[in-house]
Amino acid sequence: MQDLIIAAHGLHKTYDTGTVSVHALRGVDLEVTRGEMVAIMGPSGCGKTTLLNCLSGLDEIDDGQVLIDGVVLHDLADDQRSDYRARRMGFVFQLYNLLPVLSSVENVEMPLLVSGVGAKEARFRSLEMLEMVGLTDRARHLPGELSGGQRQRVTIARALVNQPAIVWADEPTGDLDSETAGGIIDLMCDLNQTNGQSFVLVTHSIEVGSRAHRIVRMRDGMIVDDGHGSGPLQSSATNTGPSSES
Amino acid sequence: MEELFGVSMNLIMAVLLAIFVPALVIVAVLGWRNPIMLKLALRNIPRRRAQTVLIVVGIMLSSVIMATAFGTGDTINHSIRTEAVKVLGPVDEIIFSARASSGDIFGTNPYFPESKFQELRDALAGVDAVDGLTPGIGEIVPVINPRTLLSAGRARVVGVDSGSLDGFGFFRLTSGGAANLDTLDWNEAYINDKAADELDAIIGDDLSLVISGSGEVVFRVKGVVDRGGLAGDAATIIIPLLRAQDLFGRPNQVNSIVVSNRGNEIDGADFSKEVTRLLRAHFADPDVAAELKSLLSQEELLEPLKRLAASKQGNLGEDLEELVTELASPEVSNALISLLSDDQVQSGIREALEDAALEDDELDQQGRQVSTLMADLGSFRVLAVKRLALDIADRVASGVTTFFIILGLFSIMVGVLLIFLIFIMLAAARRTEMGMARALGAKRRDLVQMFVFEGTAYALVSAAIGVLIGLGVSALIVTVANRFIGAFDDNFRLTSHFTARSAIVAYCLGMLISFGTVAFSAYRVSRMNIVTAIRGLPEPLVLPVERPLKDRLLAVVRAIFRPFFFGFYSGRAAIHGAFRASARDAGLMIFWMLAFPIWAAGVLIAIFRLILPYLLNGWLTVFLGLLIGWSGVAGEEAAPFRIGGTLVIIGVGLLIRSFLRRTAVRVEARDRIAFTFMGVVNLVFWILPFSTMRTLAGDLEGGPEMFFISGISMVAAAVWTIMYNSDLMLKGISFISGRFGKMRPVLVTAVAYPMSAKFRTGLTLAMFALVIFTLIVVSILTEAFSTTSDRVVSATGGWDIEGTIAPGTPITDIGQAIEDSPALSADSFRAVGGYTTIAFEARQVGAESHKWEWYRVRAADDRFLAETEYKVKLISDGYGPSSRDVWEALRRDPNLAVVDAAVVPSRGGFDDGEIAFRLEGVFYEDDEMAPIEIEVRDPLSGRVTQLTVIGVLDVVSDNFGNMGFGMFTARAMLEEATPRVVPITRYRFKVSPGVDPSAAGKGLEAAFRDHGMETEVLADVVNQQNSANRAFNYLFTGYMAMGLLVGIAALGVISLRAVVERRQQIGVQRAIGYRRGMIQLSFLFESSFIALLGIAIGLGLGTIMSYNIVKDIREQVGIETLRFSIPWIQITVIVVLAYVFSLLTTFLPARQASRIHPAEALRYE
Repeated sequence: MQDLIIAAHGLHKTYDTGTVSVHALRGVDLEVTRGEMVAIMGPSGCGKTTLLNCLSGLDEIDDGQVLIDGVVLHDLADDQRSDYRARRMGFVFQLYNLLPVLSSVENVEMPLLVSGVGAKEARFRSLEMLEMVGLTDRARHLPGELSGGQRQRVTIARALVNQPAIVWADEPTGDLDSETAGGIIDLMCDLNQTNGQSFVLVTHSIEVGSRAHRIVRMRDGMIVDDGHGSGPLQSSATNTGPSSES
Repeated sequence: MEELFGVSMNLIMAVLLAIFVPALVIVAVLGWRNPIMLKLALRNIPRRRAQTVLIVVGIMLSSVIMATAFGTGDTINHSIRTEAVKVLGPVDEIIFSARASSGDIFGTNPYFPESKFQELRDALAGVDAVDGLTPGIGEIVPVINPRTLLSAGRARVVGVDSGSLDGFGFFRLTSGGAANLDTLDWNEAYINDKAADELDAIIGDDLSLVISGSGEVVFRVKGVVDRGGLAGDAATIIIPLLRAQDLFGRPNQVNSIVVSNRGNEIDGADFSKEVTRLLRAHFADPDVAAELKSLLSQEELLEPLKRLAASKQGNLGEDLEELVTELASPEVSNALISLLSDDQVQSGIREALEDAALEDDELDQQGRQVSTLMADLGSFRVLAVKRLALDIADRVASGVTTFFIILGLFSIMVGVLLIFLIFIMLAAARRTEMGMARALGAKRRDLVQMFVFEGTAYALVSAAIGVLIGLGVSALIVTVANRFIGAFDDNFRLTSHFTARSAIVAYCLGMLISFGTVAFSAYRVSRMNIVTAIRGLPEPLVLPVERPLKDRLLAVVRAIFRPFFFGFYSGRAAIHGAFRASARDAGLMIFWMLAFPIWAAGVLIAIFRLILPYLLNGWLTVFLGLLIGWSGVAGEEAAPFRIGGTLVIIGVGLLIRSFLRRTAVRVEARDRIAFTFMGVVNLVFWILPFSTMRTLAGDLEGGPEMFFISGISMVAAAVWTIMYNSDLMLKGISFISGRFGKMRPVLVTAVAYPMSAKFRTGLTLAMFALVIFTLIVVSILTEAFSTTSDRVVSATGGWDIEGTIAPGTPITDIGQAIEDSPALSADSFRAVGGYTTIAFEARQVGAESHKWEWYRVRAADDRFLAETEYKVKLISDGYGPSSRDVWEALRRDPNLAVVDAAVVPSRGGFDDGEIAFRLEGVFYEDDEMAPIEIEVRDPLSGRVTQLTVIGVLDVVSDNFGNMGFGMFTARAMLEEATPRVVPITRYRFKVSPGVDPSAAGKGLEAAFRDHGMETEVLADVVNQQNSANRAFNYLFTGYMAMGLLVGIAALGVISLRAVVERRQQIGVQRAIGYRRGMIQLSFLFESSFIALLGIAIGLGLGTIMSYNIVKDIREQVGIETLRFSIPWIQITVIVVLAYVFSLLTTFLPARQASRIHPAEALRYE
């Protein structure tokens, strides 16, 4: 049996604004193995980000079940889920979403501090992580003083600093030019290779998708191709495969 | 209320309206011409209702404070005027012997022949302004009602001439109808309702009047009349003049003449000046007046008078100006005689001549001659009682309003900061849409207009609500005040009153403060970068480009000639036949001319922009600072000196920055150095003790405004320093919080966020710190003065009870009388002493001023001197070292005296203008004094006695209840000084341990009812006064705490705003593992951080300021008992309340933030 890190079954999610009801997820099933890099693609409004939010526990689900490493995520209380996120997950967002009032290193060490790591150790590990993403010289800079690519590197460093099992990335290159975007996706692939962490990416970009092990395609709140069946991109995704360490 | 800060209220209203109406018209015209922006602005109002309510509340605060101040002032004015009119009725002026010490309606004054009245009546025949003139007798006697066994120790008996009551109306019976004095039998009298109350007397009661020399005389009550006017305000018995002359053994004599002017009870005062002049001219000796005129007309005496006239404001200034004019005319006019006879003008002349004599010894002799002539000018004094009472009402009301406004300035300032903060935050919230508007072609001025439209709408409503609430608050103050007035005075009550003029002024002031702040903040927010605004990025740090000098000069010219340009355009358009454009431009020209204040403001702004680069360079700021500081030193004014000093420090800081620009020092470092220098040095400059300032700049005068200026400056300097070094603080907290494990991320963000929004945090911090500062200063000062007041022994001289008896019914030997009285036990009293108060004239031997001035002597018996514990502040060599030694010396030598503190000048300017007699060559603050020789003259016999002043009483002894002023001597002194037989009228008692002073007092009243004894427990008087003082202090503290509401509201506003602004970041925090509680805690810590920092600044600076004030008063005024002590309980309450309420205000936004769902927050843009 494959070593599953994410197992989601029959996920349903409806947004009700009072006047309009949007069925964002309509019975989604998805499995991701440890160390796998999965790209979720599809047209705007198909439910990609909603799926990512529900899988990561940022959003509630109306029906179904999400198991992360065998833990039923939505059975956890809010605080437990927060702690779980702090220890086991990392996030990368399109708009970087760094805390503008904290320096790069302070941003990076935040998940460690939240999980109760000591200040000195947190700082040490954060600097190490920044070195890994090539930003040692920008450690004391505020986000406002960094370029878009540099900010996204800080975000990645923050996402990986607590050595999470899973990294969720929502349009990680959406706000970057193609050259910088290439650099970022290279970095993510390298880290995936090196650390064996699972990556779930939501993206519009064919280039980014093509670098993933598998592409999951969505339409109207449903997975129309989970990357294991036939499809135009199936061969490239399955060819890459998860790293041997996983 | 007629004046505020010495400026007529009518003028203030006119100026405010002249600014308000054109400003409103301009806004209306702009709105009409720019309907899109108007629509955008107005539609913003209902968008967020809660926010709108918060804005309206924030904006209305300044109107509330203004309206409260004006409402209270109007109420006091109205109440005192009403009371004056009620008490005086138709009486406008009183004439009495110049030898009398004070005027009153039928007070106990020296007698003069009734023929003087006939002469005056003949002289005034045909004078239109006078419609009534009546002679009278007034004496104070004890009255007993045997039926009820109630007595009035100091009832008045007035003799009224029923034949000359025209113009005075009639005595109105309480039962209705008029009382007729002619129908009274020989032993019948009317009493007023006050006497009826005190004696519980009814018609038909036989009242016993104890008359000196005649014993008891019984009068039957014929009727009860309303009090007021001739019927008096105190308990009064009214009998015909002839009967009074007989009763007091003064046939054909009276002791006052009362005048009623034309018009009703209020309008009559309008004729006071005219009537007083006529009367004074009638009674003055024209030869003496002529001699005075020729002396004062000499150039060397006229010059100092002219200088004084120019320096005095109000009535005295006007009178002195007139005097100078009259002295220049060839005749000795009635106006001149009247002016020379006026008490205030006389003291003005003395002041001018004394100042001149200091510089020129030759003038001294002439000055003395003038003083003597002024004293001999007339044998009668004319007192315009109604006019004086109405003037006092105006002055007190103006003083109270000024006091409230100055106290409220802090809250107003805090309110202004809140409005500013609100609009800055509104702008931040709407930055993207404003950026879009700009991208679509809206001009910067369109954005300014949009904000001004919105702000005006808020301000119009808020100011109106504020005025209404202010009226409510002033009514509340009046209610509380009445409760305490009731403890002292049975008759007087404040009645809430508010004039339309005050409402208009309060509304316009509140509205204009809001409007100005809104306009300024609108201008500030309009200077945005369009791209960063649209993309929601932080505003880049772009230094404003300096416009060339030529452009700035042209802008000044344009601003000056703005209306004329429109005139020119109009003319040009007319020439080209474009009549419509011509008419429009002509209209604009007229509009700008009418809106003069706005035109002038435009010119000032253009000039400011012209010089701004030089100000920012530093050198012009230093120069301006030196100029202003120098004007302060030259004019002996503290405010300009301190403000100038501050400017110099800022200028030097800017110069340092300019200098560092030329070096390799980094931008951040040079800014830190320069700005920290400004902050720290200014802080030190403002917290330096006043004594150090005096060493620097000499004696400078500072009013209550200095409290406000100091507070603002200290707080601004402290906040400035902290905000420019916030990164250091952040590092410190980051370092410390390393020990808090999981709390560290919460603490770090809680400090990092406010410190990154420096402007917003600085404003809120300043607001909080200012309010706490004010409250701390008020609390500590209240405590300091209460500590003084608590020293009951200092105030009472160690006596427990004071008993006053009527002068006509003395007690021969009180000790014996107590022993003999079956109702009293001699064991109840440890000590009994007595003294009498008698008016003498006094002057200091060898002093500059040789004029005899009125001064009271408290001639105390041996037992009083042996037992009194009054503290003597200054003791002459050889008579000390203790206060007891001084009192013993007085017992031994009847030619020794101890004066009260009021007649000794103070280096700190603690002078009581009411007391004419002043000692020279000694200051209250001195540590030692040489014996001072003085002469006292008995005004009736002219007998002169020489006394040696060997001590000065502690100032605390004089400040309580009716213990009054005057010098202490042994009673034996009177034997030599006056042929009059003056009985003891005041007794002091010390009760034995375990005896209740109140019960003992009642026993004394009962035992000495025939002597009209009325007692007071002195500790009660002191405590009552203390508790009233405290109550008023709490009231003021409450009034000032209104600012605290604003500070707390500000925290609420920025927390609410922070939740909206940081929604996405909250999502990220939640995504990386922050629990809900941590988010909530982070927000609460954030506001706690600001609140606690503000509290710490306010607490620290307030304590330093109070310490300086207390130290200065102790040293300068010489109140040794004044101690600096911190009222911990009150301050803890203030601090805890401020903190708890700020937490409560932030609690809801914090909770809201914690409940944001991370996925939702991340979607939010």
